Amino acid sequence: MPIVEVSFTDLQRLARKNISSEELLKALELMKGEVEEVSGDSIVFEASHDRPDLFSAEGLGRALRYLLGVEEPPSAPPVSGDMTELRIVNPPRYRPYAYISIVKGVELDDEAIRQLFQLQEKLHATYCRDRALVSIGLYDLDKVKPPIIYTSVSDGRYVPLGYSEEMSLKEILEKTEKGVKYAHLVKEGEYPLLTDSEGQVLSFPPILNAEWNKVTPETKNIIIDVTGTEPHLMMRVLNVMTYAVLERGYGKALIMRAKVVGGAPDNPYPTTPHLEGKLFSVHVEDAESLLGLRVSAEDIPVLLKRMGYAVTSITSDGVRVWVPPYRVDVHGVVDIIEDLAISYGYNELPTETLPPTHFSGRSSIEHLTRIIRDIMVGLGFDEVVNFMLIDPDILKLVTDEPFVTVANPKMKTYSALRNCMLASILIAGKVNSEKMGEVEVFEVGDYVIPKQHDAESVRGMAFLLMGDKYTLTDGLVTAKSVALTLGLEYRFEPYEGKPYIRGRAAKVFLNDVEVGRVGEVHPEVLVELRLTKPVVAGEFNLTKILREIIERK
Amino acid sequence: MGLMEEERVLLPERQYRLVKALAGMGGRAEASRLAEAVGRKQSDIMRDLAELESKNLVKVLRVKTWHVCLSPDGRRYLKEGLPEERLLKIVGVRREFPSVKELAKACGLSRNEFAAAFGRLRKYGAVKVVSGKVIYSGDGVEKLLSDIRRTRELLGNISECIHVRELPEWVAELKRRGMVEVTESRVVEVEATETLRELLEAGRVSEAPLITRITSEVIVSGKWRGAILKEFDLSIEVPVKYPSRKHPYVEFLNHVREVVESMGFVEAKGPHVETALWNFDVLFVPQYHPARRESDVYFVAGETVGVAPSDVLERTREVHERVWKYRWDPREALKLVLRTHTTPVSMRTIYSRKEGEYRVYSLDRVFRPDTPDPTHLMEFHQLEGIIVGKHVTFKHLLGFFKEFAKRLGLGEVRFRPAYFPFTEPSVEGYIKHPKLGWIEVFPGGMFRPEVLYAVGLKGHNVAAWGIGIDRIAMMVLNMNDIRNLYTNDVGIIRSTPLPKEVMR
Repeated sequence: MPIVEVSFTDLQRLARKNISSEELLKALELMKGEVEEVSGDSIVFEASHDRPDLFSAEGLGRALRYLLGVEEPPSAPPVSGDMTELRIVNPPRYRPYAYISIVKGVELDDEAIRQLFQLQEKLHATYCRDRALVSIGLYDLDKVKPPIIYTSVSDGRYVPLGYSEEMSLKEILEKTEKGVKYAHLVKEGEYPLLTDSEGQVLSFPPILNAEWNKVTPETKNIIIDVTGTEPHLMMRVLNVMTYAVLERGYGKALIMRAKVVGGAPDNPYPTTPHLEGKLFSVHVEDAESLLGLRVSAEDIPVLLKRMGYAVTSITSDGVRVWVPPYRVDVHGVVDIIEDLAISYGYNELPTETLPPTHFSGRSSIEHLTRIIRDIMVGLGFDEVVNFMLIDPDILKLVTDEPFVTVANPKMKTYSALRNCMLASILIAGKVNSEKMGEVEVFEVGDYVIPKQHDAESVRGMAFLLMGDKYTLTDGLVTAKSVALTLGLEYRFEPYEGKPYIRGRAAKVFLNDVEVGRVGEVHPEVLVELRLTKPVVAGEFNLTKILREIIERK
Repeated sequence: MGLMEEERVLLPERQYRLVKALAGMGGRAEASRLAEAVGRKQSDIMRDLAELESKNLVKVLRVKTWHVCLSPDGRRYLKEGLPEERLLKIVGVRREFPSVKELAKACGLSRNEFAAAFGRLRKYGAVKVVSGKVIYSGDGVEKLLSDIRRTRELLGNISECIHVRELPEWVAELKRRGMVEVTESRVVEVEATETLRELLEAGRVSEAPLITRITSEVIVSGKWRGAILKEFDLSIEVPVKYPSRKHPYVEFLNHVREVVESMGFVEAKGPHVETALWNFDVLFVPQYHPARRESDVYFVAGETVGVAPSDVLERTREVHERVWKYRWDPREALKLVLRTHTTPVSMRTIYSRKEGEYRVYSLDRVFRPDTPDPTHLMEFHQLEGIIVGKHVTFKHLLGFFKEFAKRLGLGEVRFRPAYFPFTEPSVEGYIKHPKLGWIEVFPGGMFRPEVLYAVGLKGHNVAAWGIGIDRIAMMVLNMNDIRNLYTNDVGIIRSTPLPKEVMR
């Protein structure tokens, strides 16, 4: 979740009200924000991922105005009548879409610019998947000559933002920090480029803007562009950004739209930005059947306006609301009903405990697990717990069977899923070896066997006896005790294979089903694991005992 | 305890030696001397004496006595002579003194000594006072000298101190004259009873063996009958022995299972390796969502491609493309991941059971990329649950959290709005931690219509929750390090006491 820093003074200016810090903290809770730090004028909070409109002070200030009743949410976007053009000419095939939006009449200062760039950064980091899906740029409209053109070039030259010398696009990719970081998003020979009508380079998206047209405190009119691969996501991001910039007009700024000329035939938005928003009807019954709370038709409009919904009409059984375009989290009526509940107050909502109406129950494998644990503790073993994630080298020591490996591990120690319990119990033996003369431990847990299309989770039990006094006989005694306690017939057959000593290991059959193995662990394995005491160990497949013996009986 | 004619009296070793010593001392002795005789201090044998008395073998008497000791004056008189003795000598030589005063001056006695000594000389008639002059007469001198000799003899007999049962007149006289100091004290005396005398005479008292460990031989042979079974001293610390233990965390998890089952839930299981489809896509998490990045999900290495029911795939594609409006990629959905939560178990359950009124939970491991430290693990437990029904609402979810917290002894629950991609409304329940204040422990919500559509559930609501149970376990088990929940160290396991939350 994005961490956002805002200035209290700036927020008051945007909210157009002197709010107390208590009011702000309470409001943030309703907006799913979590305050991390308050120091002096600065407030740091964790914004909710689904509310990108609250990733900066602009959106937060707007939400406060509605919540505190400074003004009512408008039911249409503030657009100006005139329009410009966005020309898409031979765009890069791998990033074919571009949209722009113009906001006229803003008043900026350092804090405002800081907030808008914070929003841009947070959007890039989250919704834009680090610019891979969407890239955002802001420019001073008065420095450029519209219409704007989105195209692709094999190379070009301009002074990139933050530099004083002209560079070629290739140089930008090699020499600038952003160029190196995002070079993988562009293809050689087909570099995306935004220019104005006179061919001046606005930006080399998604890499770097130009220096000459950057936004400064003197900027009055702003162009926002989004380029990328997902047009709808791009439009959502553009709307959030546009509405944030709009806030910097403090009620006086207007949005100017552009006609999209050329470009992909599947472009869903001929006009940009697309400010239609959404209309929904919210009925008393809908809210009641989801919340278990009947809110009266008179209260619904009041509660929803506080949350920023424009109420367009009121009927006897509900309301019709307009959802502004920046509320990209609202997909359906349930999202509005949640805001209704939030507005009502979560801790004011009724609660009800449903009495048990059905037979409850434990899964049969957990039931068997409980029985096995009782037997093992009764035999004097201590129960241990290990992770399912394990070092693959330990698995290879213990078994030749395949196992699941993690493609993106953080540590090699936890980069595979165990495919048996034996490896884990040997780790437990090692941990306790020094502190205890003799170790008798067991573990019941899940392991995973890779299959053709998936991987099967299996419940197993492994035990370990470590110390000079133990031989295979002690392992067989344990196996036999388990079998007899479960009321099953047992049989041993010689077993040859990892990690046991040949001639000192056995397969265990219960009711003629092979369910496990017991053996003396080979000294070579012990030495590899840096264990110095003899180990007798065994393992049972509990899933198999359940399915093939108990449930078959 | 009455003694039968034929009975023998068996005594523990020390008591036997005490009665023998008592007999040797003539049947009556001070306890201190008896103690000396058995090589102990008097305080050590008092309990034995009490037992012997209770057996009617001895009488323990507390007797009043006097200590008579020479006073500093008495000691001096014995060395230098009594005052009257010294005065007599001086008067005997000078024969006559012009005044009593002159005599007092010349004799070198203190005022009091002089007054007493002069009084005695006059009483016996050894001196007379005639018109102020002191005149030696010689009468009664013999008598006085014999009195002096007797007094000196008495003082000499005392030497330093004597101990007497009764106070004789002469002691009183010496005390009056300040030559001795008398203090009262009590001594313990032991006297053999008639019974003991008879028993000893008949040779019917003997020493009994002391048994500290009862063996089967002791029982079978009947040796215990003639033996003293040693009493244990309960003040001595005994060693610790820990039982073989079930793992405290597994015990806690099973306790949680019981609590949830008591609220009408049935347990379900699901695979640890999941397709992204069940883990994310059916849950309405768009494929570009940050929760699906490599930093947040463990992907399975290799070429394996998962499989999934075609109806789920189709409905999922449809709902993603309709609502999120992007190109949904089935290959992305069929990637294998280590499940990041147990919600796929709920999804699979709803998909297979469809419509109906039911409550299902699961409690198993989930995985998220992380490096272990006291508050983070790459593998942990999640308690997942769903309440499915036609009239299930958000208030039932809130009610569940309150009741669950109550049954686990977690106290009051507060609610805050929250965001999860697959529930709407969503909520986070907070409980009060004794040290950390309000902490979030109960995330949940009502499954979105898009989610229920993907798994094919119609006309029903589903309240769902997915609780990170480890945090609650740490609270209940009083642990500060999450890694100790998953410990394989028997030392830690054995020394973790059962928490009261699990015992009630």
